Amino acid sequence: MIESVPPFVYVALAAVAVAFLPRFAGHAVAALATATIGVQALLLSNGTYLETRFLGFDVVFLNVDDPARLVAVAVATLATAAVVYAHETEAPRVMTAFAMSYVAGTAGLVFAGDWLSMIFFWELMAVTSTLLVWHHGGAAVRAGYRYALYHGTGGSILLAAVVVHFVSEGSFRYAASGIADVAAPLAAIGIGINCGFIFLHSWLPDTYPRPHVAASVFLSVFTTKTAAYVMYRAFPDGGMWLAYLGGSMAVYGAFFALLQYDPRRLLSYHIQAQVGYILAGIGIGTEVAVAGGLAHLFNNILYKALLFMAVGVVVYRTGEQNIKKMGGLWKVMPLTFLAYLLGAASITAVPGTNGFVSKGMILDEAHHVHNVELGLAGTALYGDVLWWLLILGAIGTFMSFIKLGYYIFFHGESTLQPADATPGQTVAMLAVGGFCLLYGLAPGLLFELLPFSDTLVAELHPYSTGHLTEGVVLLVVGFAAFFGLKGPITRLAWLPDVDRVVFPAGFYLNRGLTWGVTELWAAVDRAVMAGAGASMRVGGDPGRYAYRTAERLPGVDVDELPAGDGAETVRLRASSSASVFLLTLALLVGLTVLVLL
Amino acid sequence: MMDNFPLYVVLVSFFGMFGIFAAHRRPNVREAVTVVVALAKFGLVASMVPGVLAGKTYVFSAGEFVAGIEFVLRADPLGTLFASLASLLWIVTSFYSIGYMRGLDEHSQTRYFASFAASLSATMGIAFAGNLVTIFVFYELLSIATYPLVAHDGTDEARSAGRKYLAYTMFGGGVLVLAGTVLVFFLAGTVTFTPGGIEGLADVANSNESAVQLAYLLLAVGFGVKAGLMPLHQWLPTAMVAPTPVSGLLHAVAVVKSGAFGVARVTLYVFGPEVAYRIGMGVAISTLAAFTLLAASFIALRKDHLKQRLAYSTVSQLSYIVLGLGIFGPYGLIGALLHIPAHAFMKLTLFFCAGAAHVETHTDHISEMAGIGKRMPVVFGAFALAAAGMAGIPLFAGFVSKYYMLIGAAEMGTFAPVGYYLAGALLVSGVLNIAYFWPVVYTAFFEAEDDHDAKPLVDHRPGGERRSTLAVTDGGDPGDEDADADIGPTDLRPDFSGSGSPGERRDYSEPAPLVEGKYAVDANPSDHTTPEEDTRDGGEDRDEARNGSEGRNGAEAHTAAEEADTAHEMDDYDAHHEGPPPGGWRRLSAAEAFRGEETTWFMLGPILVAVTGAVLVGIIPYELGFLELIELIVEGVLSGTEVPA
Repeated sequence: MIESVPPFVYVALAAVAVAFLPRFAGHAVAALATATIGVQALLLSNGTYLETRFLGFDVVFLNVDDPARLVAVAVATLATAAVVYAHETEAPRVMTAFAMSYVAGTAGLVFAGDWLSMIFFWELMAVTSTLLVWHHGGAAVRAGYRYALYHGTGGSILLAAVVVHFVSEGSFRYAASGIADVAAPLAAIGIGINCGFIFLHSWLPDTYPRPHVAASVFLSVFTTKTAAYVMYRAFPDGGMWLAYLGGSMAVYGAFFALLQYDPRRLLSYHIQAQVGYILAGIGIGTEVAVAGGLAHLFNNILYKALLFMAVGVVVYRTGEQNIKKMGGLWKVMPLTFLAYLLGAASITAVPGTNGFVSKGMILDEAHHVHNVELGLAGTALYGDVLWWLLILGAIGTFMSFIKLGYYIFFHGESTLQPADATPGQTVAMLAVGGFCLLYGLAPGLLFELLPFSDTLVAELHPYSTGHLTEGVVLLVVGFAAFFGLKGPITRLAWLPDVDRVVFPAGFYLNRGLTWGVTELWAAVDRAVMAGAGASMRVGGDPGRYAYRTAERLPGVDVDELPAGDGAETVRLRASSSASVFLLTLALLVGLTVLVLL
Repeated sequence: MMDNFPLYVVLVSFFGMFGIFAAHRRPNVREAVTVVVALAKFGLVASMVPGVLAGKTYVFSAGEFVAGIEFVLRADPLGTLFASLASLLWIVTSFYSIGYMRGLDEHSQTRYFASFAASLSATMGIAFAGNLVTIFVFYELLSIATYPLVAHDGTDEARSAGRKYLAYTMFGGGVLVLAGTVLVFFLAGTVTFTPGGIEGLADVANSNESAVQLAYLLLAVGFGVKAGLMPLHQWLPTAMVAPTPVSGLLHAVAVVKSGAFGVARVTLYVFGPEVAYRIGMGVAISTLAAFTLLAASFIALRKDHLKQRLAYSTVSQLSYIVLGLGIFGPYGLIGALLHIPAHAFMKLTLFFCAGAAHVETHTDHISEMAGIGKRMPVVFGAFALAAAGMAGIPLFAGFVSKYYMLIGAAEMGTFAPVGYYLAGALLVSGVLNIAYFWPVVYTAFFEAEDDHDAKPLVDHRPGGERRSTLAVTDGGDPGDEDADADIGPTDLRPDFSGSGSPGERRDYSEPAPLVEGKYAVDANPSDHTTPEEDTRDGGEDRDEARNGSEGRNGAEAHTAAEEADTAHEMDDYDAHHEGPPPGGWRRLSAAEAFRGEETTWFMLGPILVAVTGAVLVGIIPYELGFLELIELIVEGVLSGTEVPA
């Protein structure tokens, strides 16, 4: 039974139920459905797959292996918590229904076993997440439109990659070697838009701060993390270009996060940075690195959503979107502060949290990369540029979360006196936070879920002295750097990101093309109409025009135009229709000439 | 026995037309005749489908018609595909027409329904025509039969649109088709449709390539006129003055598809895909189609009138079909042919929704539609689904056909790089579809009447301008200077003091000056009969109208009493006002929406049927028979053809 029902089916049904059932019942059904994804994933054994014929092609809607199960468990855990959170945060039923349809797309994508069903769910996720953004109305609507355009473009490019892959391989099935080589650049860019590659990431900080706080929780995890997962499917052997790109994203994202004062915008930049770590792991391509990348993906789903929840509670309770106007909230919102602390500790990889385990795996492997070396030879500070990028990103992460926590929860006396998180919100947050701690303190549980788990359990020692020292050094450097550089950071807040250029450029390019095409066409139409009119006039009185022409010809002597032309003069009257025909013919001849040339 | 069925299919609605005329005094009987005839026609076509799927062809011949050419109607797979689609959707459209025409209390409904029946007759003739001469005859008949529908309104604009329509399709397209037919007959000695192409023509293509090229171009462009191929598409947006069901069935399905169908016949059954590819003309037409679909999408971005936007979307989507036909290889052809039903269901839904909004709220412009989803949730929900399909989003019909075409184009790219460019055009067009359909969807559901982006988006500043369509107490639009804000009450009231604005120096105690021997008000009686139309028509028309009314104000022939009247009428909210009523759209409860209270079931039913079709084609195209039929067609025309690898 559970081997023949792909999870997206019942999640989609739950989405419908949420829209029509009473609020509590609907959310309960939704939470049940999302939890079931995880249970089903854990019960199914590797190699399960369900082949169907769809749209005239063979597709696999249910394909279970280690990476799929891993991501499915994370998605299920988080989606369940997010549904509880949404219920407690007064999310309208329709909004949760949109969110559930988005989860259904995610579930379909995670278990897809071929590129056709992958792109199918990929596009569905893009549409359903757009609805989720739009539902909030106001400023979210136009941002959602930009979001849709970004993802429409990304989806189209990925679709092109899938098609090229099919033509080259003759099958849509996931291959062990990933996507066909000819399709690789297209796939990288198509998936890269969803991953938030540098310069393709503008949609991320643009969209995620604007919708309902509960919608942000859903949005923050599924699109980007499934993109990283699909990146793994496309490039299972990695590639150094991906690793270095990931490293750069970690630095870029962390740097811009540091400059933000909108809490959700800050977190959005961290999505880019964290996806950078995941991609670095996948890109390095060794067994441990890939496992580390996927483990980071898993952990990131948990703690990133936890942070969005905690910050969401603050926004929800205070109605304030600027952290400068907050402060001292740890006294009035201790539960929220606790949740934030768990999330921030995990994302910054403080020992004892899940982020520490997976980030350690990636950093270790990056240490073994020797392409472009840098640093003090013979010391711990000697490593590859990639390693330095990741370390720099880690420091930036520390700094920005110290900043976020400092401004919201400390930073003078509290001027706002909001209530703390509701019990339901607290349950959702602390459950996710508990998982963060659990996987950090008992990393074996996490290793069980990963690919190559036997090797990992034997080889990895996350709490070795080296790792712990690294963690503590990063923490200290982070604190020192933030409080040392607080002034410059504040003064740098004006620094624009590429969206300042990309959005207007895209808009004016589009406007230029649109106006160009329409005006050009209008000119053509005017010319056609004028031509038709002229030929009608000529056709209506050919004699006179013949005389006029003859008069102007040199060396031709013509008599005056006979006046009072009557019965003797034959007048050809060409109808407007015939004129249009003549023009059509002329166009056709022109076309023929062009083609024959 | 069944060999005569193609003839019956053509004749049933032809005789039905007389029945409709006969019942003109009793509208209910008249509409019953339409529905019965539509059902009968579909039944006849459907009865042939199993046989056709089993490989049979039903042929009716009326003997020699012109020198050496027979008048033949034959139901082969391609013809049956088109005929079954058009006849099925005619049933749906008939019901919708009843709701629409009665909802608007239209004049000349008998003529309308009769012309509709005649058009469908001609369409069936095109579908089943067995050779080029027969198809030419029906092609011209279709142009004539649809003229009364295009010019239905009887206004100058509608009649002019009708003339343009005839000029383009009959004299432009038809004549080219005729010329091409003659040329093919001269070259090959026959014009009978043969799967995979007329045999003799392939040999001629070797010896006299340019003549065959010319013949292909004449035929493809001739049919392309009806398919809205640029630069010969201009008739289609103009023809949108027709009632919406006409725009829906004829200008999204029957007429325009008969153009695309003609190109398919020419490519697959006259020249054959191989010859079309070898002489380079298939690719040339595909390239023209690629240009058309991009350019039309850009124009659509700027259209504020919903039907106009849909018209350009039609121009763009029909070019998908034409483009796919030029892709040499099975996938491209399957995609192109599948796009015929796919686009039909989706575009019919879209037009029906636009029509329902027009009947219920008199709202035609996207800029007036903010929040309309509250008032018409089901209609605009269906619109959103069909729009997603247009953009090639999965679950909907558009994805499947686009997907096949992309594979075909990528496959072609391996031996002819132009294939990659064609694929690129399809992908870019998908994004442009999102760009011009999404604003309609989000303004309907997610924007508020008093706070929404000014549309069309490209004509306003980046990031959007906030607008309100809510009428305030003085009847004007506060933020919307374009609408009527610049005609304030003081402008309307003549200045008797003599010291007024410098533009108003006339002495009103004297009679108004004569213009060409008459008072201006006599020359422009509409001035005082329909003041609303001038100021509230919106879009491009709005500007013209305003300029016009200003011009007339300059002539200044109104009396003070008339002016007061005008001002009064502007205060008076009336039903022909576009956009939301003064308090904003009423939000329908879920129960009301389920009961279909937003409009009549005559319109809602067809909308739901059409959108269901669009979804089903997107999920189970094979089980519906469309994909099976298409695979049969492609197998037939490609048998014996080597596609280079």
